[in-house]
Amino acid sequence: MRETDLVITGIGIVSPAGIGREDFWNGLIEAKDCFHEISLFETTDFTVKKAGEVADFNPLDFIEKRHLRTLDRSTRLLIAATQLAIDDARIEINEENTHEIGIVAGATFGSLHSICSFDIEGLTEGPRYVNPSFFPNTVINSPAGQVSIRFKIKGYNTTISTGFCASTDAFVYASDFLRLKRAFVSLVGGVEELCEETFRGFYLLDLLSGTDGTEPFSAPFDKRRNGLVLSEGAGVIVLENKEYATSRKARILAEVVSYAMAFSSNSRGTFNSESALKRAILDAIEKGGLRIDDIDLIYSSANSTKELDRMEARVLDELFKDKVPVTAIKSVLGETYSASGSLAIASAVETLNKGIIPPTCNVSAPEYQINIVRDKMKIDNINNILIITSDPYGSSTAIILGKYRS
Amino acid sequence: MKRVVITGIGIVSSIGIGVEEFWKNLLDGRSGISPVTAFDTTEHFTHLGGEVKNFDPVQFGLKDYTKSLSRASLLGVAAAKLAFEDAGLHLQDKDKSNTAVCMGTTMGSVQSTEYINEQMVLFNIKNFNKHRICQVPTNSTPSAIARFFGINGPVLMFSTACAAGNYAIGYGFDLIRLTRADIAVVGGAEPFSKVAFTGFNQFKAVAPEKCQPFDKNRKGMMVAEGAAVLILESLNHALERNAPIYAEILGYGLSCDARHMTTPSVEGIVACMKKALKESKISPNEVDYISAHGTGTVANDRAEVAAIKEVFGEHYKAIPVSSIKSMLGHTMGAASAIEAAACALAIKTGFIPPTINYETPDPECDIDCVPNTARKHNVHVAMNNSYAFGGNNASLILKKYRG
Repeated sequence: MRETDLVITGIGIVSPAGIGREDFWNGLIEAKDCFHEISLFETTDFTVKKAGEVADFNPLDFIEKRHLRTLDRSTRLLIAATQLAIDDARIEINEENTHEIGIVAGATFGSLHSICSFDIEGLTEGPRYVNPSFFPNTVINSPAGQVSIRFKIKGYNTTISTGFCASTDAFVYASDFLRLKRAFVSLVGGVEELCEETFRGFYLLDLLSGTDGTEPFSAPFDKRRNGLVLSEGAGVIVLENKEYATSRKARILAEVVSYAMAFSSNSRGTFNSESALKRAILDAIEKGGLRIDDIDLIYSSANSTKELDRMEARVLDELFKDKVPVTAIKSVLGETYSASGSLAIASAVETLNKGIIPPTCNVSAPEYQINIVRDKMKIDNINNILIITSDPYGSSTAIILGKYRS
Repeated sequence: MKRVVITGIGIVSSIGIGVEEFWKNLLDGRSGISPVTAFDTTEHFTHLGGEVKNFDPVQFGLKDYTKSLSRASLLGVAAAKLAFEDAGLHLQDKDKSNTAVCMGTTMGSVQSTEYINEQMVLFNIKNFNKHRICQVPTNSTPSAIARFFGINGPVLMFSTACAAGNYAIGYGFDLIRLTRADIAVVGGAEPFSKVAFTGFNQFKAVAPEKCQPFDKNRKGMMVAEGAAVLILESLNHALERNAPIYAEILGYGLSCDARHMTTPSVEGIVACMKKALKESKISPNEVDYISAHGTGTVANDRAEVAAIKEVFGEHYKAIPVSSIKSMLGHTMGAASAIEAAACALAIKTGFIPPTINYETPDPECDIDCVPNTARKHNVHVAMNNSYAFGGNNASLILKKYRG
């Protein structure tokens, strides 16, 4: 019994593990080394010098030079991922169907660099000398707005800023919009660019791995973990009503089983929202008409920080013991923040189709009893994958995707 | 699907804090525009804005939060507190997981970001404490509201610029209709932003003295700040606790121009209003008040009026269309939430707020803009319009509640 009748028909990814579905997937299962010296900004202020840049991203592969000048990096990343997703879903957007197509993007710091550049130009040059053509980039919805302009998407255009949960929340919102018949097709994205401002924030909060000058590494659930590796990327998922997808003979990659969001208002400290995560998971399982035993795999959002990994491990241990395999792709990708949920959804869709679980790499001394998939693994008869995200302010979101059987 | 009603309103604005003061001043046509104090405007072309005067977080029980919360969040929590009081709502334990928070913004806690930039650029300070940094993420505002009131349901932040309030109200409405929440705390909050002030100044879009929507000699918009929070409840939940009901929300429409980042398009606005009417099962001749986006720029006013003419046809002159931005200025992510509150109050009280500073008719904007003085008018159905950068449009439909 499905709560929804929604299916996934396309994926577009721009990530440090790879650009495009295939490269992204190969990067994940081969545990590509994604962390390199930062080239996007000066790192003199920081002891951490590495991050997960999408080093081989050439915006000219996706955007004509004349359009490029005023588009910030977040916008370029999201446009590229959208192009790849539209191509992958083989969907044509035209005047006939555009009012039935919408986009919702998860982005939280997406415009922070643009906001700061604009503000700093005013501080140094004086407010009358600031270039107005960069002002539109300062609104957080500018990446999604530019995507609509480029691809002529007129149905609706929404940006959700819930941090680590942003793109899973975007997925929930888009699913609700399809259920309410506000659209037939929703592009669901997440984007976050690597920039000095975001990096400084994570650095000063002592959330980064390698602040003591040692080599940064991402080892979710491992005893040795010492912080996250900040990263960037964009993921776009094409979500459709099953009826519409079938009518246009789309190739269906997965179906949406259920989803739930929760908040933990009494948590104190960072990533201490066990009650929200537990409630979101149980709620999603119940709404999907499933039992705990029906979950075949969990895509964890563990990012190699002490707090988030401990919180997730506790909840997963309580609910699933060591029975269900758990993988944390941030071990390879790093923390892409608002984009991370969309990358996890994309990877889960590949797992449903290929029967392979990407590894949680760098785990040599697991701290918890949960069933961490440490090497790439084949899995038979996979039906339901649970994807979870949690934000330090207290939000948690759970999504269950199912194998599509026509 | 469940019916959704508005049972509480909280406002923190340049013309008043709390529903009573806000509404009285709005009907009196009071302007909230004054010299900007948030930063030095000597080098800017204009010097006025709509700041919230006399806002003291301590009066809202936020004494312990003034360091950890941004101004956006303080404004938002204060508005939420006023809304809870207005609704006479005390969340029971059983309500907490069934209550959602949906807020809207343009640039989030941008004053906190501006503070950090200033410290870095002017004083070469590069170290900031945890409190300061944790003010910055945009979702700190709805999270602060949820924590303050013990809310454990979905908590979301919509960053859809100047239409964000309507997006947030709309999704709160959806969550209740879909039975994913019984109560939704919805609205928008925006602090006075130097980035916005500088940007609109550089666009030559800011009026030097006053905001004059629909006036032939209009000179532009006014940058402003504020917050509005509405309490939405399922009708059953509201009736069970004998809550006061301002109005019912019937539906809303979203559209995207997909054309230009900053210039509104008639086609996009028309699509949005039509969707809102369709979803609400309301015909154009049933609408008896339109709260305009009405920023007071030529581009906005003319596109909006052209769109109203197309949607409402011959009937358009018979519908009062006012812009409270003439008094408040443009409160960005909070604007459509404050305007939704004004619609609810118009329905409840039978008075329509005016468009002030109206002097010279613009032949291209020959609507009834309720010039300069409030009007007694029985409002059954109100439409709340908002448009944003990115070509984002949102129209919300409210109706007088009948059992």
